[in-house]
Amino acid sequence: MGPPAQWQRLLSVVRTTRTWWQYAQRVQQRAAGKAKMSQAAAPAASPVVEMTGITIAFPGVKALDGVDFTLYPGEVHALMGENGAGKSTLIKALTGVYQIDSGRILVSGVEESFSGPNAAQKAGISTVYQEVNLCSNLSVAENVMLGHEPRTGPFINWRAMRAEAARYLEKLGLGIDPASMLSAHSIAVQQLCAIARSTVVEAKVLILDEPTSSLQKAEVDELFAVIRSLRDRGVAVLFVSHFLDQIYEISDRLTVLRNGALVGSYLTAEMPRFELISKMIGRSGEELASIEEGARSVARVSKDGDVHALSAIGIGKSGQIQPYDLALYPGEIVGLAGLLGSGRTEAARLLVGADKPDHGEVQLDGRTVKLSDPLVALKHGIAYSSEDRKKEGIIGDLTVRENIALAVQTIRGMWRPVPRRELDALVEKYMTALNIYPANPNMLIKNLSGGNQQKVLLARWLATAPRILVLDEPTRGIDVGAKAEIQKLVADLAGEGMSVVFISSEFEEVLRVSQRIEILRDRVLVEQIQNGPDVTTDTILASIAAGHSITETEGSAA
Amino acid sequence: MSTTTGTATTPAPAPAGAGPRTPAGAKRALSALGKRLLDRRFLPVLGTVLTLVIMLAIGEARYGGERSFVSVKLFSNLLVDNSYLLVLAVGMTFVILTGGIDLSVGAVVALVGLVIATLLPMGVPLPVVLIAGVLIGSSFGLLIGVMVQHFAIQPFIASLAAMFLARGLCNVVSVQSLAIKDEKFASLASWSLKFGEGRDIWKINLSMIVGLVVLAVGFYILHYTRFGRSVYGIGVGDGGNAITLMGLNSARTQVWVYVISGTCAGIAGILFAFYTKSGFNLTGIGMELDAIAAVVIGGTILTGGGGYVLGTGIGVLVYGLIQVLIAREGLDSWWTKVFIGAVLLAFVILQRAISHKRS
Amino acid sequence: MSNDVLVRDTAAARPATTGRDRLQQVVHHRLFWPVVALVALLLACGVRSPGFLSISVQDGHLFGQIIDILRFSATPLLLALGMALVIATGGIDLSVGAVMAISLAVSLTYLDASSSAGSVSTALVAVMIGLAVAVIFGTFNGFLVSVLGIQPFIATMILMVAGRGIAMLITQGQITTVTSAPFKFIGSGFVLGIPTPVVIAAVVFVLVALLVRKSALGMLLESIGINREASRLAGVPSRNITWFVYILCGLLAGLAGIVYGAPTMAADANNIGLMKEMDAIMCVVLGGTTLAGGKFFLGGTVVGALILSTIERAVVIFHIPSQITPLFKAIVIIAVCVAQSPRLREMIGSVRLPSPAARKTVEEAV
Repeated sequence: MGPPAQWQRLLSVVRTTRTWWQYAQRVQQRAAGKAKMSQAAAPAASPVVEMTGITIAFPGVKALDGVDFTLYPGEVHALMGENGAGKSTLIKALTGVYQIDSGRILVSGVEESFSGPNAAQKAGISTVYQEVNLCSNLSVAENVMLGHEPRTGPFINWRAMRAEAARYLEKLGLGIDPASMLSAHSIAVQQLCAIARSTVVEAKVLILDEPTSSLQKAEVDELFAVIRSLRDRGVAVLFVSHFLDQIYEISDRLTVLRNGALVGSYLTAEMPRFELISKMIGRSGEELASIEEGARSVARVSKDGDVHALSAIGIGKSGQIQPYDLALYPGEIVGLAGLLGSGRTEAARLLVGADKPDHGEVQLDGRTVKLSDPLVALKHGIAYSSEDRKKEGIIGDLTVRENIALAVQTIRGMWRPVPRRELDALVEKYMTALNIYPANPNMLIKNLSGGNQQKVLLARWLATAPRILVLDEPTRGIDVGAKAEIQKLVADLAGEGMSVVFISSEFEEVLRVSQRIEILRDRVLVEQIQNGPDVTTDTILASIAAGHSITETEGSAA
Repeated sequence: MSTTTGTATTPAPAPAGAGPRTPAGAKRALSALGKRLLDRRFLPVLGTVLTLVIMLAIGEARYGGERSFVSVKLFSNLLVDNSYLLVLAVGMTFVILTGGIDLSVGAVVALVGLVIATLLPMGVPLPVVLIAGVLIGSSFGLLIGVMVQHFAIQPFIASLAAMFLARGLCNVVSVQSLAIKDEKFASLASWSLKFGEGRDIWKINLSMIVGLVVLAVGFYILHYTRFGRSVYGIGVGDGGNAITLMGLNSARTQVWVYVISGTCAGIAGILFAFYTKSGFNLTGIGMELDAIAAVVIGGTILTGGGGYVLGTGIGVLVYGLIQVLIAREGLDSWWTKVFIGAVLLAFVILQRAISHKRS
Repeated sequence: MSNDVLVRDTAAARPATTGRDRLQQVVHHRLFWPVVALVALLLACGVRSPGFLSISVQDGHLFGQIIDILRFSATPLLLALGMALVIATGGIDLSVGAVMAISLAVSLTYLDASSSAGSVSTALVAVMIGLAVAVIFGTFNGFLVSVLGIQPFIATMILMVAGRGIAMLITQGQITTVTSAPFKFIGSGFVLGIPTPVVIAAVVFVLVALLVRKSALGMLLESIGINREASRLAGVPSRNITWFVYILCGLLAGLAGIVYGAPTMAADANNIGLMKEMDAIMCVVLGGTTLAGGKFFLGGTVVGALILSTIERAVVIFHIPSQITPLFKAIVIIAVCVAQSPRLREMIGSVRLPSPAARKTVEEAV
């Protein structure tokens, strides 16, 4: 499915829904025209990177599908998109980490096929990652200079190396001691060191992959000053970030990807924030969009006279999520909405004992409990399904049966195994209820499809008969059918009195299942929206796109 | 090699320009030096130096008498008795810096000794025998390196398998203790320069020189070559990602550290044969732990990425001193093993505590 | 999903309908090749030495080469059972040989000091003390690994070397030799015609199997070894479980030491249990358990132990110099390690690198 098809689908959805989308459609068409214009209007110089028709397929999924991308010298170009949009894949295609299945990559007009990041770097393409890819146990000078270190005979000339490193650091306005250990410095400084390194190799292209995720405001300013000075020296900067404010502050142009396909390239100055977000998250298909209208969550919340099933009071963890309050009634579904990196997962992990909060406390039925580890939370009836199914969910080499039994078993304690008959009944019940395929409990879970693995994990948590279920991206990477099943299941469970925290990067989904929506932005819970007929994805969009002002809506303030 | 080595291990001496020409400059340089010394990365090494000083002090206090315990002779003896261990520990430092381990070295020492003891009586020329001994070590290192790098087998398993292999080969060569009676070999082994007089006589022998040369070469490679810095770079624990991005070859470095360790084990095997003038299939059991202990006591972080080969030198001295003190106390020799185990444990726990505090 | 996993699919996953399927099932069973190897070894010995497979009864006791093989399997099996559980959690215990030496040294030293070494109760107390000491050392290992978080091979290697020193301290550097009929019975007696070590090993095997498979311990162990973080989130108390298996491993090593040393009743601290960790590891890997942790197979470990002692016997029968055995064991371990390496599977299979799963994970993680 190429970009035009994607657009067609997008537009058809848009047409059938609301007037806002008619507006969006107009803007989009205009923007599409502008994308072409902007390329023409871009610096007269020829592009330093030109990628055309890039396709990369992994078994079962096309990570990139015919994507075009152009980068000019002297511009800061933002690459935008939600999880799985293909941003990282595109960067990895450019730097030779992945080999492309089709398409062409021209660097300075010459077709290239890099064997790896090393080769890309030799051709002048340097990458700075969020997790600084340097050696924290070596000195700053070494991290900047190694590979180009000055020598005297067969010896590394340390003095010259430090002097030269100092010179490059100076150019970026960084006056740190080159002999100091890299680990002695903040992440921000470490990133600047990585950038200094790219100036040593005289990179023509500098890729910054989420460099600001863990930086303070002042550090970001410092970084941006460096980026601007590099841009003015003619370096092409490719910038990936989830922070919209920063995109608008630093980038000249931006390219939006969605589900591995190109949405378009635009001049940043001419792209309204609101529209950008809608382009990034797109629509998840007619099916869900049409359901959105009628089939809202049916669950009833019994608020009157009831205590909160769970209430979090000012819990937070520094560097992860600002202290926040959250209260859940029995039978209530609360959605956490926000872009990637907004702190939604971090917020959830504090509720379930996966991480320990620095501040605040959690109360169950009005009593304070100390959730020191996940087992304690499970024993209190709190179950948590992680967003990372592979690393934090499935036990790959165990069978479906064992995977389902795991959490029930740990609650019972290892000396009291679940009786075989009881277990079989449990497994049978959930495999049928969740329609797990293949219906063979003795399969190894790693041989199941993603959607079925997810259902097995749900079965694991449901088997513990939790009172509170925290689901982090339960429908990511699974097909539409399974998705709808899981959504329905969540609504049914709430109907039976279970409280659910539902996290998803798809706003339709959040809207569809939750009664109340908590909006997160930049690791702060910023707003609470009571779901109702007049609340739409636009409401959420507007809330996230809004500057730093906190809007009050009905319900208690966040 | 004495207590001043702590500062000499600094790979990056004070920045240029701040020379101690003026009093202010000197003061600044001193405070910079002080800061550098208190730098976290020197903490374990400081611990090592402190341990050495305390042990020397204990020795002096208990056995000091009219002739002082701490003397050139003491250090000469320590080096003569432990040169093979010094060589092993230098090789082990390379491996541990990358975050790996080499458990095969003790078995390789035994194998090399046996091979020497078998080949010499067969009339094979001495130089050929010695080179063969070293190459046996290198090949075991290569085997481990390939298993670790190309088959992604955990280092301790790969080197454990190599250890079993070397022991197995030992048994094939001989299960008897073989004396080495070759004259040339004996003259090499007993060659030494003597200094001083009477009871203060001390000497420099061949294995001591070899040990110190290996240490110096190790220092040069680790601190003054790109390869050496790659060894540290791999130790950061990202699978060599960062240094690959720097244009250095992590895969080759990973294999080479094991070859270096194996080669050192080969050399140590020869030195140990010099020392014992025999080959026996059960020698060197637990010697790998001695080498690891010397490295860890010397301040190298067991999980890789930090440490100094000169620290390893001090670690070997500490190890030797433990033996000397135990002997002087009249304790049985098996106390050594228990003691070394306890000291190693203490240092491992210390390192855990430091790294835990950091994270 | 990649296709190589189908090979490792559990047998029960595929309904066996036709005979061909059933054959496939048998061939693909993870015990197929180990059992084939064992049978081939036994047959080869049988052909070479005609009386090999015969079992005779003298004074109501079973005798014969096969019985000897069973008898010699007992010690490695005891060690390997504990080792398998430790390996399942992703760890290793290199100290088993040293713990054997310590527990035997303690038992025999107690007997030596006792005035009634020949009485059954004294022998029992001696065994109990030996086992208790082994448990203490197992607890120590487990503490270092699970509480302090020290790498298992380092933690246990300290005891592997220092442990021999401790055993020497206990025996005062002597080879303590005692005479105690009840104690000797443990190593060379017969119960219902079957050698005592075989009975002990069989009983322990059943107990361990019941312990891990009748409780949830086995599943939780495997889940820790396969995916520690996912296990934590599912509430698995990995610290306590890890600690427990090291204790159990220590206990079994202590028992192995007593069974091994009982026939000669000589506590030779330098040689008892030397390189026995290699035997234990070999039995475990031959039984199909990978050293990387996760799934473990106790039945396979028994087959591994039988192969081990059959090889040792075969060496004698074929007049091969017995010194070659350790070399052969080492080669087997290296071969199995390389064969288990995922890298080799990738090289053989035409799976693209990096594997799709890994790439997808990378994609999701970034």
